Amino acid sequence: MDYTREILTFQFGTYANYVGTHFWNQQEANFRYGDESEQVAEEQLPNNDILYREGRNDLNRTTYTPRLLSVDLSGTLGHLPVTGELYGNFVQRDEELLPLSTGEELEQVRKRAEESGVCSPEQLEVQEQSKASISEYQRDLLKNAVVPEKNYQLAATANSWVDFLYARYHPRTLNVLPGLIRDPTAQALGTYSAGTEMWQEVSFNEEFCDRIRLYVEECDGLQGFHVLFDIDDGFGGLAGKCLEHLNDEYSRASFALPLHYPRITSYPQADTRLSHSIRVVNNVLGYHQLSEQALMFTPLSTLETIWRNNNLKSRSLPGLQWETDNLYQTSALLAAFFDTATLSYRLRQTPESLLRFCECVTPAGRKMTAAGLALPFGLREGQDLIEFLDQSGDHALLTQLTPGCEPGTSYVVQSVTARGIPAERLKRPRELAGDQLRMAAYSCDSISHMLQLYYQCTYHGSVTNAAATPLPLKTQLPFPYEMFAAGISRDGYRLPEGAERETGSRVDSAPMLAAVQNSTKLGEHLDNVHAQSHRVQLAKLQAYSNSGLERDEYDTALDQLLEFRDLYADSQYL
Amino acid sequence: MASISLLNPKAEFARAAQALAINISAAKGLQDVMRTNLGPKGTVKMLVSGAGDIKITKDGNVLLHEMQIQHPTASMIARASTAQDDSTGDGTTTTVMLIGELLKQADIYLSEGLHPRIMTDGFEKARDKALEVLDQVKVPVEINKKNLVEVANTSLKTKVHPALADLLTDVCVNAVLTIASADKTKPVDLHMVELMEMQHKSDTDTQLVRGLVMDHGARHPDMPKRLENAYILTANVSLEYEKAEVNSGFFYKTAEEREAFVRAEREFIDQRVKKVIELKRSVCDGTDKTFVLINQKGIDPISLDALAKEGILALRRAKRRNMERLSLACGGTAMNSFDDLQEEHLGYAGVVYEHVLGENKYTFVEDCKNPLSVTILIKGPNKHTITQIKDAIRDGLRAINNTIADKALVPGAGAFEVRAYNELVAFKDTIKGKSRLAVQAFADALLVIPKTLAVNSGYDAQDTIVKLTVEDRLSPELVGLDLATGEPMKPVDLGVYDNYIVKKQILNSCSIIASNLLLVDEVMRAGMTSLKG
Repeated sequence: MDYTREILTFQFGTYANYVGTHFWNQQEANFRYGDESEQVAEEQLPNNDILYREGRNDLNRTTYTPRLLSVDLSGTLGHLPVTGELYGNFVQRDEELLPLSTGEELEQVRKRAEESGVCSPEQLEVQEQSKASISEYQRDLLKNAVVPEKNYQLAATANSWVDFLYARYHPRTLNVLPGLIRDPTAQALGTYSAGTEMWQEVSFNEEFCDRIRLYVEECDGLQGFHVLFDIDDGFGGLAGKCLEHLNDEYSRASFALPLHYPRITSYPQADTRLSHSIRVVNNVLGYHQLSEQALMFTPLSTLETIWRNNNLKSRSLPGLQWETDNLYQTSALLAAFFDTATLSYRLRQTPESLLRFCECVTPAGRKMTAAGLALPFGLREGQDLIEFLDQSGDHALLTQLTPGCEPGTSYVVQSVTARGIPAERLKRPRELAGDQLRMAAYSCDSISHMLQLYYQCTYHGSVTNAAATPLPLKTQLPFPYEMFAAGISRDGYRLPEGAERETGSRVDSAPMLAAVQNSTKLGEHLDNVHAQSHRVQLAKLQAYSNSGLERDEYDTALDQLLEFRDLYADSQYL
Repeated sequence: MASISLLNPKAEFARAAQALAINISAAKGLQDVMRTNLGPKGTVKMLVSGAGDIKITKDGNVLLHEMQIQHPTASMIARASTAQDDSTGDGTTTTVMLIGELLKQADIYLSEGLHPRIMTDGFEKARDKALEVLDQVKVPVEINKKNLVEVANTSLKTKVHPALADLLTDVCVNAVLTIASADKTKPVDLHMVELMEMQHKSDTDTQLVRGLVMDHGARHPDMPKRLENAYILTANVSLEYEKAEVNSGFFYKTAEEREAFVRAEREFIDQRVKKVIELKRSVCDGTDKTFVLINQKGIDPISLDALAKEGILALRRAKRRNMERLSLACGGTAMNSFDDLQEEHLGYAGVVYEHVLGENKYTFVEDCKNPLSVTILIKGPNKHTITQIKDAIRDGLRAINNTIADKALVPGAGAFEVRAYNELVAFKDTIKGKSRLAVQAFADALLVIPKTLAVNSGYDAQDTIVKLTVEDRLSPELVGLDLATGEPMKPVDLGVYDNYIVKKQILNSCSIIASNLLLVDEVMRAGMTSLKG
């Protein structure tokens, strides 16, 4: 087929928008405009039309924006108008930014309203809320005056995902839930049931479904949906209902990524113990819906486990350090995984598709998969991949990003994507090969082939699909480059023991590996969720009583989740 | 309540008079925000958010939705008032005004020691009496254009500028009459009046399209942009190739073999397209007829290409509700499969054409024989203007539909409130005990409506009330306020009407809410430790 296989992306919730912001920033950091000096083979570049759409604004300028629907609470958009910044229809309240913006001066908007006849001059009363503050980075960005070497301290100062958003959105993209205001101390949309009720509100539902339809109608060969959402609060209910709608209406593959907060979540009118119970119920209902509606879902978190983790014990990635509960930093890791793992079917000229990608790693209805990440990929400066893999036989390449899961090294089905490893780093030419000649992998001619062979040798009874592109992960501003340890070079390689990156320099890009994995051991995550549910007394959860969740409904979800878990029992392995 | 303070020492309490003061101040605050909105002379609000989002509205319902109300009492009043709008389509501002005024009037008596329970009993009696008066003064109406124009105009003038209101009135009334049943005895399904928006820099008319306007167009460059004498095939059939079954891959040895497999798989789709083409040829060849396919499901580029070669205009991903509306407007049947396609399944439209504005396409389906579904096309220079007009039109349509349901209207311009005031003042003499004070308070509260109308028009509230109440006693017909002159007038003569159901619901809502707030004798706010569920 010679037409684009489009994907529509959804982001439900605050943390999902943090991850999404990093994801879209990454897309734009990788845009190629033809005059690039580096030459990368055509088939190894991403086809951006899969995720982006072209449009035209009122000034007759071409726009290129993510095919995205984002839902979040009031108060998270900060300086960003709901209609986005590309198509006008808003007042530019910062005079300094007025000439650079499609927004208008207030007086001009008032005059236009009077001219269009909706009211007479003396009857128009303007009520202005106080001007939203804008982060230093965003201000410089809007002025086209970003200083690449400057330390904007985004990790400490970013109050919302808009503060580090580089991409510009279409008017259809941003949806704010009516009447729900973000509260830093508690989840404003607290329960799964509240989320499902929000979906059923006519005012939200009609407009949102219409926006879905308008996006989908533009697609010639829609291949499916990406759905990122916060599963620990009510956005799980919203996302679950949306997936149901997508299945009913469009019958396409959907890849869902439920995101767990890297924090202990609090809920209105609930103490610590009750908050824990609410989170458990949210997860039970959320995972149950996913097991029915998603083609594949991969829970993501930077914490080792969600449950009984009062000390917030985090996963660790060699060469990286981050504050455990920092939303800005942790979401960058999850976004890096998401971007890399999905590259295989987003490349130009690839026969791969979202449907095939999902089917490959979800045998026998095992829809839940685990995420593995290596960032930065452990290559030393000057080291070839063949040598690195040869020395890696006795320890894992990947760190898990799915909480409470370790797929292990036997009977694993996985899809691995490598990026940032150029072809010349595969191995040395034959005349210079030296010891490499005696390695079994020397016959491999591509990164993906070599990775596949490596996993065949080190994972028992497993199936691996590998893909690769030389494009690295871009880790320049607004990526949280401060996470990289001093022992990582500018290009993201490991420096020799004891050596350090020169002071003041940053990591600009990094090679990395991302994998979507499946094995019987993933049942443990569901066991963990189920174990927590024993301690929940649903009747005592006022938040759920208020939103009308029936006991039967919850018990049914729990039972069916157990049936889903049974798919991961050994006896059912193909 | 003492046990709670043991469990949660940090909880804060407000009791009795203090609790009442909290609730009354919240209601008054909300009332103050809304008062300038009331009536045709009320001010239009342009809300500019911190980020520059623009909302222009005079609609109380929209205003309450946009405000971030944090006070729990004000939030409760706002939610109840917007529920009024959900059920009847109008009356939000009036409800908020009356709740605030009832509590304000009650405060006068309560501060002198009257018990809240007596006050609420009196309110209940007064409300029942007011509902009686409402039944007495309602005007039965025949459902015709003149009467509907009057009620729609009254509603719309409270939302947008009078000149625009006149235009929208015609559009709304004609829309409803077009789709109403022949005898016009049943309310219409307002979903069959579609509101379509077009953002256009210079063209700002709103017009009624007797047919459909869809917010998408053809996706093939060679498809015709305009067709006349068009057959319309509405379908819910997939015309796109998508391998959806799990584990249904196939194996191939060569690229040619793979191509053959793909071709075989999509044969299924090609057959469907062929059926459409065959029908088109059989009904159009040798005639001046043309053919349009409107599909709820997708159509892929290969199918589009085959259809375009035949001169068929094909639209994909039509809105589900539009499938129903197409059958109503054009006739024909929405098909779920292409087996056994017949000419009788086709609808008809005199003209179908595409219109492109920026990155958006629209498709017009017009000249329908007997349209039972119509479209109101709203054109405006920007999103916030369009939204304001759209909100106003919704209210206008609801007002018309309410009239059809009630078959009655109530004279407007504050006339009912003045009459009810006079009747309640007389009624209070028949009440024994202190409840009569509450009846008086209720009566006084009703006058907030004509008072606010007067103030918003620039007249003195007290002068106005004196003139109106005196005139009402002298006249058997209802007397309202002429906003143009500030003098009493007969609303019936000027065609100023309100919906009966809206008035009734307002009286019920405001008295119940005010009574509930009066009976609150304790307000508790959780401290740092939250309540145990």
